[in-house]
Amino acid sequence: MALRKVADEQLQTVSELLYRLCTKITGLNGGDVVHHVQYAHTICSSQTSTKDEDEFRIVERLKKQLVRHGKERDAAHFADLHRKLQSQMLLRNRSAILKLLQELSSLDDQSQQAKVSRIGFATHGIPSHLVSTPYNAIDVRGIKPQERTSALTLSNASHYTGGSSGISSIRSRDFSGGDAETLAQSFIPSHLATPALGLNRPTNADPHANRLRTVSIFSRHVENKENIPSSQQAANSLPRGTLTHQGDRTTHQPTEQGILKDLVYVLQGISGHWIKFDTIADAYKVDNESGIPKVYKQELLKISECGWLYMKIKSYIDHHSTDKAFGLVGQSFCAALNQDLTEYLRLISILEAQLQQDLDPGMQETSNLTLSRLRVWTFDPLKRLKWLAALVDTCKGKKGGALTSTIFSYTHHGDPSVKTLITHLLTWVSQPIYATLLRWMYDGELDDAYHEFFVASDPTITNEQLWRDKYSLRKTMIPSFITMDQASRILLTGKSINFLRQVCEDRTPTKGREVAMNLDLTQAASMFSQDQNSDFQQMLDKVYELTSQHLLEVLQVKYKFLEHLKAMRRYLLLGQGDFIRHLMDLLEEDLAKPAGNLYMHNLNGILETAIRATNAQFDDSDILRRLDVRLLEVSPGDTGWDVFSLEYRVDGPIRTVFTPECKITYLRVFNFMWRAKRMEYVLAQIWKNQMCSARHLKSIPELSLILHTCHMITTNMVHFIKQVQYYINFEVLECAWDELLTKVHEAKDLDYIIAAHQVFLDTILSRCLLNDKSRDILQLLRTLFDLIIQFETAQGVFYEAVSSEVLTREIFEKSKKDRTLKGEWETNEAIEKEEKKRRKGFLSTIIPSTRAKLQVLSTAYQDTVEQFLKMVASHPDASLRFLCFRLDFNEHYKVREPRGRSSYLRAK
Amino acid sequence: MPREIITLQLGQCGNQIGMEFWKQLCAEHGISPEGILEEYATEGTDRKDVFFYQADDEHYIPRSVLLDLEPRVINAIMNSPYANLYNPENVYLSKHGGGAGNNWASGYCQAEKLYDDIFDIIDREADGSDSLEGFVVCHSIAGGTGSGMGSYILEKLNDRFPKKLIQTYSVFPNVDEISDVVVQPYNSLLTLKRLTQNADCVVVLDNTALNRIAADRLHIDTPTFAQVNQLVSTVMATSTTTLRYPGYMNNDLIGLIASLIPTPRLHFLMTGYTPLTTDSQVANVRKTTVLDVMRRLLQPKNMMVSTPVQRQGNNHCYISILNIIQGEVDPTQVHKSLQRIRERKLAQFIPWGPASIQVALSRKSPYVQTAHRVSGLMLANHTNISQLFDRILNQYDKLRNRKAFIEQFMKEAIFKDSLDEFDNSRESLQQLIDEYNAATKPDYLTWGSQQAAAL
Repeated sequence: MALRKVADEQLQTVSELLYRLCTKITGLNGGDVVHHVQYAHTICSSQTSTKDEDEFRIVERLKKQLVRHGKERDAAHFADLHRKLQSQMLLRNRSAILKLLQELSSLDDQSQQAKVSRIGFATHGIPSHLVSTPYNAIDVRGIKPQERTSALTLSNASHYTGGSSGISSIRSRDFSGGDAETLAQSFIPSHLATPALGLNRPTNADPHANRLRTVSIFSRHVENKENIPSSQQAANSLPRGTLTHQGDRTTHQPTEQGILKDLVYVLQGISGHWIKFDTIADAYKVDNESGIPKVYKQELLKISECGWLYMKIKSYIDHHSTDKAFGLVGQSFCAALNQDLTEYLRLISILEAQLQQDLDPGMQETSNLTLSRLRVWTFDPLKRLKWLAALVDTCKGKKGGALTSTIFSYTHHGDPSVKTLITHLLTWVSQPIYATLLRWMYDGELDDAYHEFFVASDPTITNEQLWRDKYSLRKTMIPSFITMDQASRILLTGKSINFLRQVCEDRTPTKGREVAMNLDLTQAASMFSQDQNSDFQQMLDKVYELTSQHLLEVLQVKYKFLEHLKAMRRYLLLGQGDFIRHLMDLLEEDLAKPAGNLYMHNLNGILETAIRATNAQFDDSDILRRLDVRLLEVSPGDTGWDVFSLEYRVDGPIRTVFTPECKITYLRVFNFMWRAKRMEYVLAQIWKNQMCSARHLKSIPELSLILHTCHMITTNMVHFIKQVQYYINFEVLECAWDELLTKVHEAKDLDYIIAAHQVFLDTILSRCLLNDKSRDILQLLRTLFDLIIQFETAQGVFYEAVSSEVLTREIFEKSKKDRTLKGEWETNEAIEKEEKKRRKGFLSTIIPSTRAKLQVLSTAYQDTVEQFLKMVASHPDASLRFLCFRLDFNEHYKVREPRGRSSYLRAK
Repeated sequence: MPREIITLQLGQCGNQIGMEFWKQLCAEHGISPEGILEEYATEGTDRKDVFFYQADDEHYIPRSVLLDLEPRVINAIMNSPYANLYNPENVYLSKHGGGAGNNWASGYCQAEKLYDDIFDIIDREADGSDSLEGFVVCHSIAGGTGSGMGSYILEKLNDRFPKKLIQTYSVFPNVDEISDVVVQPYNSLLTLKRLTQNADCVVVLDNTALNRIAADRLHIDTPTFAQVNQLVSTVMATSTTTLRYPGYMNNDLIGLIASLIPTPRLHFLMTGYTPLTTDSQVANVRKTTVLDVMRRLLQPKNMMVSTPVQRQGNNHCYISILNIIQGEVDPTQVHKSLQRIRERKLAQFIPWGPASIQVALSRKSPYVQTAHRVSGLMLANHTNISQLFDRILNQYDKLRNRKAFIEQFMKEAIFKDSLDEFDNSRESLQQLIDEYNAATKPDYLTWGSQQAAAL
């Protein structure tokens, strides 16, 4: 009610203003001016209702009017003025003013009717207020008020000759509570109706009226077209005729039905009568000759968009469904699209049927397809088609997993309806992937003729390399809803099965396979709804765990993986100490020979003996069978020590862990340890010689200094080698092994074990100074080893000389005794002198030369050790510092370093 | 089977500790007192063949020779459950049966007479092994048989097997109590000469310390022989574990002792063991770490040699240390423990060369339950051992100066002509003491030069 009041007040002010205006213009007073005021009132009310009126049209009309009256110059002048006005931007309501001017101009023409109009105006002042009442009632019913108002008032305005009838029509409508027939009739002459008038009322309660109204719009346009110059009267007289004579007119002019029919075709992607597909513009175009007004053309084109989209999707489907290489995912995508299109076509066919009914005169009132209805009907499909077409666009050239990824990216759309649509589509599309995935994970079979799945298999790879090289991830084909982690887990699971089947010859099906295989493929949805439930992840985890566990079990139980691993450590990494010791004892003689003189069968025989004589004999015969001698490539000058190596043959599934590369690593490590071990034994031998020799060399006290020097050198060397060995034992082997075993026990899949084993080997390599970073240090170590061998030789030469001297002296003593027994003098001066000279000669040759030799050796050794320690201490690998720490536990070397011993020695 | 070791048990003491040693070995290898492999002993990773030989599949016989001049101890063994363990041919009792009367000379001379019989047995044993590594001699240096006969056998072993190692487990007399053997210093001195010259490695088992340990650590007021001998057998068994459970290192006797002994004479090793418990003690299972064990091993109270431990004043130091650690040990802990010990300077090392604590991890027998998770044995070459010799030398000098009991010795052939042997032995021991003292100084490297210059 408050609104009403405001409106009334406004009306009052407007009346007041008009009154003042009229008084001013006419110069009349009081009652005289009332007529004019009333007229102005009428004009104003009509003006407000035509605010939608096109300014251009009014101007044109005015110009035409002027031209008609022969005032061409005035018309030109008017146009000029109007242009100026337009450019000035001073007036806001230009069209309204123009309208006023038009109305005023027509006033002169109809001066004879002035009286009547005046009456009309007089009566009109009041009813114009009344109009708002029914109009409000309609508003409550949900019809847009403005249009209604405009329609009503316009009809009033145009029927000013019969103003009472206009009022009565409103009244009757008011009383009848929205009688459709009367209402519709009142609309018919509304030549000012906007295009939105009928179309914007999709939910009109009375479809019949709606339809009529729409028809009227078309008919009006038809009339407009016919008589452009004709006056409003012509328009006023026409409406009923249009309705009744419709049939005759549509024969050459598009009627609504005709256009609808056209549209129905267009919706199916077929060019219609007036709406045709323009291949150049790649769009539908309304035939310019059809006479369909521009405004409607827009509408039609809007609806025809469906057809265009339909065509687009259809062509995509047609193009790809014949393409075999497009793959299963693509096919499902096409199928899903097709399903949607079928749904769409069904709608179209219903529409068509309705249209048919409409055209059938016998069933006149039962069905009622209109353009607006069509628009409503196609509203949802349009949206759907738009999304599908967008998908088709983005999916162009994609297939398999990539296709699903693309579709998946649309599922996060905020609009739930879009989301549902895409999800539905995705469910379809991902089914083949899901099916392949299940087959792969449970059976290890790769059913992927079109390379759509994200696991790729290389058929050229042999079983030997199966684990490492045969299967790989096709990164582009991983659907984005599957994480990289999951993808690799899926790869691993299938790979494990293949490995079991092909390499381990194990055919036990995965637990739960039957259930999984019979599962509904709609479970595919679980793949991309992972953020809602973890079914998919659980399924993956379960199958992965079962398979990997089974694989590990097979490897452990059937192929004795751990036993082999331990055997490698025992034999290749010298863990079986007694065996290695004995083997070295037995081989000593052979390996001292040049490498070319080694015979495999001899070595094999020795290996056999060593096995039988030591605890190695208690090992599994299968393990011992694999143990073999291997000779490295012989280079000139090599002795047996340089080329001898043990080998452990592996076959079957465990080769996957113990690859040829790993074996080479083992070989290198063996070689290093074998050398170190040899040094240990060489030194033990030197030590033993010293111990044994010490007893009988007491007889030559002059040698004690040299002997003591030998002992000291030996002690240093023994310490060095022993500590290197302890370092290898603890820091290299034990620690790395401990880690490896822990990892092997906690391993969930084979890859983990392979990785752990690789880490183990790498650790050993680097800690044994065998990697590139330590090459110089290793070289120094080799030098030290060589020095030890040189020392052994030097000491050997010395001991041999000394021993023979001892023997000579014993013989001399014996000869003295012999002579006594024979009754001769035990000794005489000559003999004594000669012996003394001989002894002196011996000592003077052996002592200085040996001493010099030892001095050189000792100095070289000390220098090398110090250099070695310095390099090790500055090595980037911290674990190598353990070695340094062990070697210099009592800080013996550090103490002498500052004194600059090495330079001192060199100076000497 | 290579690297076999033949054990010679000499005299009363030698046979007693020998018997305990074999008991321990049998238990650890799962061999019954009859020498039959127990049914549970199926694990084939232990190496029985170093100390045993196989008569048949299940039957293991110790590579052991039992020698004595009086029947008491051997008879006791023969009446024990272990009677059938030994090869009866390897048990030799002097027909004379009177013993050596605690007289070194008597033992020495009797052994001389029994040479053929004794070496028949030893030769046979040696022939029965593929590549004999050496001999282990168990004896005491104070009595008559162990010292006298032991000395003789050491000399002869050297002659006969010049390339074989000789390790002895020598029990040194208890100086805390007045011994009934008055000539102990004579016996000890004379034996020490042979131990210095004819043995490659002597593991000193000091009765003084053993009794002290038994009393202090095990809380036994008057330790019995058996209890003390159990300590000894533990030490002996543990020091051989690396030979019996082969691993990466220390799989042979020579490897074990070569790094401990720098020069031929400095071969007297001390031992330490922790934790010490006896069967009677309620097992007090404690979490023992490697560091705990290694630290305790460096404590004098755990050492089985009673040298007065002086931290102040003298420069005595470790020449070498080998720790054999048994049990569940995390190998990564070893390094950390070594670091800790070095940081705190818990061990003083020689000034003339590199030295460090060697740590060997060894397996524990799966058949013997022990209360301790980790246990450790230390074999150490420490210059301080010279004080033990010094003590013996002093006691000898006291007796010798008084010419006490000398006539007992002069009865025997070796001293018939002169007492030079005494003087020789004394000189030998003095040289040993001198060398040990020299080894505490940085100029030990050129130690020989002074001697050479003196000539």
